[in-house]
Amino acid sequence: MAVVRKAVAAAVALSLLTACGGAAEAGPSTDAVTVRNCGLDVSVDGPPERVFAAYQPAIEMAHALGLSDRLVGTAFLDSEVLPEYADAQRDRKYYKNLPSREELLSHNPDFVLSGFNDVFSAAGTDGSFGSRKSLTDLGVRTWIFSPLCPTADGKGDEAIDPASVSMDNVYADLRDLGKLFGAGDKAEQVIADQQRRIAAVEAKVKGADRPTVAIVRPGLEGGGLTVSGGPDFGTVLIRQAGGVNAFADLTAKRNVKISAEEFIKRDPDYVLISGCCDATLTEDRTRPDVDKLLANPAFANLKAVQNKHVVPWLFAHHSAGVRGAHSTELIAKIIHPDRVK
Amino acid sequence: MTLSRRRGLLHHSGPRAAGLAAAVTVLLAAVLLSLLAGAQWFGPRDVYAAAAEFAGSDTDRVIRYLRLPRTATGLLAGAALGLAGALMQGVTRNPLADPGLLGVNAGAALAVVGAIGLLGIHSLTGYVWFAMGGALVATVVVHLVGSVGRGGATPVKLALAGAALSALLGSVTSAATLLDLSTLNEFRFWVVGSLTLATGGIVAQAVPFIAVGIVLALALGRSLNQLALGEDLATALGTRVTVVRILAGLAVVLLAGTATAMAGPIGFVGLAVPHVARTIVGPDYRWILPWSVVLAPTVLLLADVAGRLVVRPAELQVGIVTALFGAPLFIALVRRRKLAEL
Repeated sequence: MAVVRKAVAAAVALSLLTACGGAAEAGPSTDAVTVRNCGLDVSVDGPPERVFAAYQPAIEMAHALGLSDRLVGTAFLDSEVLPEYADAQRDRKYYKNLPSREELLSHNPDFVLSGFNDVFSAAGTDGSFGSRKSLTDLGVRTWIFSPLCPTADGKGDEAIDPASVSMDNVYADLRDLGKLFGAGDKAEQVIADQQRRIAAVEAKVKGADRPTVAIVRPGLEGGGLTVSGGPDFGTVLIRQAGGVNAFADLTAKRNVKISAEEFIKRDPDYVLISGCCDATLTEDRTRPDVDKLLANPAFANLKAVQNKHVVPWLFAHHSAGVRGAHSTELIAKIIHPDRVK
Repeated sequence: MTLSRRRGLLHHSGPRAAGLAAAVTVLLAAVLLSLLAGAQWFGPRDVYAAAAEFAGSDTDRVIRYLRLPRTATGLLAGAALGLAGALMQGVTRNPLADPGLLGVNAGAALAVVGAIGLLGIHSLTGYVWFAMGGALVATVVVHLVGSVGRGGATPVKLALAGAALSALLGSVTSAATLLDLSTLNEFRFWVVGSLTLATGGIVAQAVPFIAVGIVLALALGRSLNQLALGEDLATALGTRVTVVRILAGLAVVLLAGTATAMAGPIGFVGLAVPHVARTIVGPDYRWILPWSVVLAPTVLLLADVAGRLVVRPAELQVGIVTALFGAPLFIALVRRRKLAEL
């Protein structure tokens, strides 16, 4: 079965390649494409063939664009991949943590697709592949998801431009990557599907009260809590689902550490407990952290605790990428159960 | 002890005792401030109500379940770290000794990472035992290594052994945390040092350990004074040097191990506070020790309050604040006094 699927995928990829080649202008460099990503020009002479995908959003987007067979390596899943990509991901070379720059280069990649910006940042917490320029110099093209564009190459989460955090930038990435990889049709399909599903949710929640929603990372608190701030993509997803990120006004970083007292002061209507980072993670595994928050005597008066609106959630759900529609639907079901089933 | 009258701002027992009483008053003020200041300011009446007439309001809960444990952690961990630093400086006669130098913190930290990563112990109540065990093993190893060769456990050899073991344990800890990211994340926040890690339960559990450590440490003041004259002279004066070292080591393990388990490894307090005490009362350990018990929690609580207020609505962990304010103060201390004169 896997062989057949691979063959079909390869055939599809090939046909897309030829389709793209045919559509381009005639000349010696028919497949040469340049698009701009986070302030850098990304130029290819033809569709990249050896792609390394770092982090969940990049891995899922590669599969969504039909690039599964071009993945020479994948790293750092935050949870299980979406069911539609599970088979394709199973055969891929996978690293639990980010590999070193040397290990990365040993795969001879011609393209690194990253779902987060820290991997090209000197200040990165999970290790770094080096700046994008340093990889381009070696002939390795790179891509950061646009909703996470840092203000300069070599910077990371501390320098996200808040204006870039939008679903439109996910679509722009899909279109641009579609151009680079000769997968324009597939990109348009994915975009249409996302837009249709998100519009359906938005229509259902229109006019409803907008509850406040906090996304909390368990296990990182050290006595306080780590919540998703304004630049986190969760802010966009919650808005689409008919709610408001309770910490949207904290815009310095994606993940903001706050005190337990500040959390009590904000008293959010819903709390999503965002589990991370393991390739086999599911919502169920964050249940103990949900129970822990519910049982904390300091939080007993919170609306979310009294109404049992503390819900298992996954970090993967609130990353920018092709989960956008899926996550919007999930949040809407949680905060508007009467309108979205 | 004639040497006790040679230096220090306060020269006689009367002023020293009066000064200590004043220091206790400042400590009480710091305790009150720690209860009142935060994301919201409360009044003393709120604190009284939360303690005496708990009704379950938000204010009551914040005070009882957040600020009280936090303040108690600051008191206990501060006193423990200040005393542990003073003891180590006295025993090793090394002006730069602190629970970090002799591998105590490194041992406690590695044991905690092991407890999280290998045994899956995720509750703070589990940390205490591992932290103290790790601290004890590290202290014994450092003492054994430092005792090898001619001359026995000289201060310099002990300090060298401690530095080497700290480096070794630290790299093992880093390796362990890098191998497993979920462990790394948990440890990354634990490693900085914070007064908000401990719940009321763990604070209560820590009290007996720290109380025993404090009593043991305060009883060693006279012996440390004799040790300060040099090992040979101390022996001639009838001090059993090895016994004093073992008792002091036990007290340090109790104090620093428990403090690390409660609050993570907090730097600078154990190093600098004894020097401040020495500046005030001179080199007499019968005064340095009690002054350290009072000054260290004052410093720690004020640093924690500062961390709550400066970057609101976020917070700086107290370990960061002590490093920020402590390093320049320590440099000033080094410049003002010749540290080698312990």
